Amino acid sequence: MASRIPQFNQQVLYDTTPLPDSIPKVKELGASSAPLMSAAYFIGARCRDYNDDFMQCKNENPGKGEFECLKEGRRVTRCARSVIADINKSCLEEFRKHWTCLEDNNQQLWQCRPAEWKLNKCVFENLGLKKEIPDQPPNVTPVHLRKQMIYAHWPIPRSAEPFVPPTQTGDNNKAPAAASSSS
Amino acid sequence: MPVPFEALIPYAIIVTMFGVTGAGLSAIKTAQNGGKKARWSLDTWDRQMMDRDRRLTGWLRGQTDAADAPYGFEYNNPWRVEKRFS
Repeated sequence: MASRIPQFNQQVLYDTTPLPDSIPKVKELGASSAPLMSAAYFIGARCRDYNDDFMQCKNENPGKGEFECLKEGRRVTRCARSVIADINKSCLEEFRKHWTCLEDNNQQLWQCRPAEWKLNKCVFENLGLKKEIPDQPPNVTPVHLRKQMIYAHWPIPRSAEPFVPPTQTGDNNKAPAAASSSS
Repeated sequence: MPVPFEALIPYAIIVTMFGVTGAGLSAIKTAQNGGKKARWSLDTWDRQMMDRDRRLTGWLRGQTDAADAPYGFEYNNPWRVEKRFS
C-alpha cells in the first residue's frame, strides 16, 4: 500500500468512512513521538510478544500486511496504550521531564541520561518494568548505565547516579561488578 | 605606544555582521520550531513521526502524552493524490 512516496501531489483525500462493525474498535494511541521514544523500552518490556507477533505477521504477508495483520495490530495498540496509561498514572512528572529533554535534543537518548535514570527508577518501583537493551555484549556496562556519554553536549553531573534495577539470581541483565571503564 | 584602534574597526564590523546573521538565523530557527531547538539529521522515520505529531496536535513539533488519541485522529491521515500523467 505505501509502496512509494507520492511525488507532485497537490491534493489530499480524507476518507472518513469508518471501519465496518465486524472489526473490533480500538482507541488509537495518543502519545506523540517524544513520549513514545521515552517509553519505548518499557513498551518493549511489557509488549514484546505482541510486537514480535505483529512483525512476524507483516513479514509473512508482504504487500497485504495491512489487511491480514489487523488482529495483531490491535493487540499491539492495546498493550502500548496500557503502558502509556500506567506511566501517566504513576510517574507523570519524571516522564514529562524526560520527554521534554528529549524533544530539546533531537530525540537522542544519550543527551538525557540523568532524567532517564530517574524515570527508570520510578517506573521500576511502580510498574516493575525494566529498561533492557537486548544483545548487549557481556562484561561491559550497558550503554544506558555509563556515567559518561561521549557524544553528549553536556557532561553528566556527578551527583546523578544511574539506576541499576536489583537483579535476581540468574538474570543476565547485570551491570557487572568489574566493569571495564568506558571512555 | 597606544593601540591603533581605528585599524581594528573593520574587524569589529565584520565580527558584528557575522554575529548578527548568526543570532538572527538562530532566532528564526527557534521561532519556527516553537521555542525548541531545531531537529536535524532527520530520516524518513522521523519525518513520518513528525507528520503523526502534526496529525495529533496540530503543529509539527507539538507533543502530547495522552494515552487516548483525540477524536478524529483515526480519520485525518490523508491519501496523497497525484494527477495522472496521460
